Amino acid sequence: MDIEAVKQRAGPREFSPKDDLPEEYRKAATRMIQFHANSEIMGAYLERPFIRQAPSLDRKLAFSAKVQDEIGHGQLLYRAAESLGIKSREQMLDELAEGEGKFLNCFHYPMESWAEVPMIAFFVDGAAMRRQATLKRTSWEPYAHAMDKVCFEEGFHVKHGEDIMRELATGSKREQEMLQDAFDEWWPRIIQFFGPTDDKSTHHDFSADVGLKTMTNDELRNAFLNAYVPKAEKYGLEIPDEPRIRDNGDGTYEVVEEDLDWEEFFTIAKNDSPGSHEQIGKRERTQEAVEWVRESLDDWERASAGANATPEAAD
Amino acid sequence: MAAEEAESTEQAERTGLGMPDDLSDDEREAVETLLYRLADDELVIAERYTEWQVRAPTLESDLALANIAQDEFGHARLWYDLLEDFGATEADLIFERDPADFRHATLAELPFEDGDWADAIVRSYLYDEAEALRLEALDGTAYPRIADRVGKVLGEEDYHREHAQNWLERLAADEQGLARLQDAVDRLLPAALALWEPVDEDVEARIDDLGIRTDSLDSMREQWFDRVLPFLRALGLDTPEGVREDPESFLPDHRGRDGDHTDDWPDLHDEMTRTYRELGRTEAHEIMPDPDEAE
Repeated sequence: MDIEAVKQRAGPREFSPKDDLPEEYRKAATRMIQFHANSEIMGAYLERPFIRQAPSLDRKLAFSAKVQDEIGHGQLLYRAAESLGIKSREQMLDELAEGEGKFLNCFHYPMESWAEVPMIAFFVDGAAMRRQATLKRTSWEPYAHAMDKVCFEEGFHVKHGEDIMRELATGSKREQEMLQDAFDEWWPRIIQFFGPTDDKSTHHDFSADVGLKTMTNDELRNAFLNAYVPKAEKYGLEIPDEPRIRDNGDGTYEVVEEDLDWEEFFTIAKNDSPGSHEQIGKRERTQEAVEWVRESLDDWERASAGANATPEAAD
Repeated sequence: MAAEEAESTEQAERTGLGMPDDLSDDEREAVETLLYRLADDELVIAERYTEWQVRAPTLESDLALANIAQDEFGHARLWYDLLEDFGATEADLIFERDPADFRHATLAELPFEDGDWADAIVRSYLYDEAEALRLEALDGTAYPRIADRVGKVLGEEDYHREHAQNWLERLAADEQGLARLQDAVDRLLPAALALWEPVDEDVEARIDDLGIRTDSLDSMREQWFDRVLPFLRALGLDTPEGVREDPESFLPDHRGRDGDHTDDWPDLHDEMTRTYRELGRTEAHEIMPDPDEAE
């Protein structure tokens, strides 16, 4: 199939490993899914400390399960990316630890207090839900298939995130203030979740033409604002003055793009902000520390190859 | 055992203990002591397992250990909930409790070096073999509230042991893996002996006499040695010479059960309660259905 044929046929779940697809498509899809998978992993670095710091046993359990789900999503997505035949999972994981793998802007910032938890677990996950729901109709079938499970679980995460936020928003004055501070800090980053405005986005046109993306950044961002500005207000949060949000008067909102710091965004996109170095360094160190186990597993697998010994519980 | 005690044991097994409100002070103390042992072990060991989330050697091993951590948290929740029968709240039991009042064995609280996956595997192996034994000893408990919940917990333990055993076999097949395992065994086996230590000799004896537990700590320790020592040796690992004959002399300085913990425990407790304190909370909010209603 050549690229024109791909564009002709492009539609929801249209292409699978059975199709002979041009490299350009496979590379674009790999880049997109790898970014998504990397983000699942890197988000977990921000959230893991809050399993320990959760203020009740139930929250602890739910939060541990959430972090686990995100790793599970990473696993599914790497599989969907691998099926394009461009990179192996190992390659993608190596790239991530080496600082070449790209991931979501929000996960390049540190997260220090529980009041910040709903910024990820409600707003960022809510934003992710929006985007992921549209990806159930992406043209790479294994990606769309992964989205079915991811969206199902993500729905629970967002509910849990909302509940954490509700608890803080209806808690003591102190809790409410901490929540507002966290919101002030995270709000611009959350809006940038959807990436630059369409005329600055480099990859959109092709991805849209071959059916990988089904909505533009601007459409997604506006849909998110329409749903989440009222939710934030419902919990008593004040929307920061900047970036300016235009109320269109018909229940829809739009962000004034030049109020956002795109220089910071593009520095992050190059994995080059201080937070990027910090988060990628964590990944690098923790992966390096368990390299010996992977070596040991390789030996074990070589030794038992053909010996029919695959203990199942040990994965 | 004195004849009088034997008779009371028989009676307890025959008639059983009552519901929480019916217990005498002595009975209640025995039940609570046993529950603290169980709940604190589960909570604290799970807390250490969660340090592996997003840091395990592979995505698959990450998911598997997270499952085990959540099982243990879930068990802690079941046992703390039974302590709440006596009027305590979760805040009293976890967030506002003096770290020195926790009764978990030292094995659960010990920190580990970054990347020391052998620690996670050996720790869970030693713990889960002990866990299986003590749950079996609760299967015929005289205390109905525990009896209701043992089955659920036991059902999840087979997987934990299988997980640990399979990983032990894999790692032991490789020279570097074996050396790492040996270090972990050297360090953790003595700490695991604390699992069988009494909180208080008299109360432990009463737990046995009342039939709350149908096997004594000493007897369970023997059975644990029967399972653990040959298994480790068959993998090519050394176990401390004479540990079985004289476990006392191998015990760690801090045993945990008696409230004497390593310095790492107050630090861990401090982190666990950080948000609770930072937010100025006075209660821990439950968000899941009560275990009695969830059954």
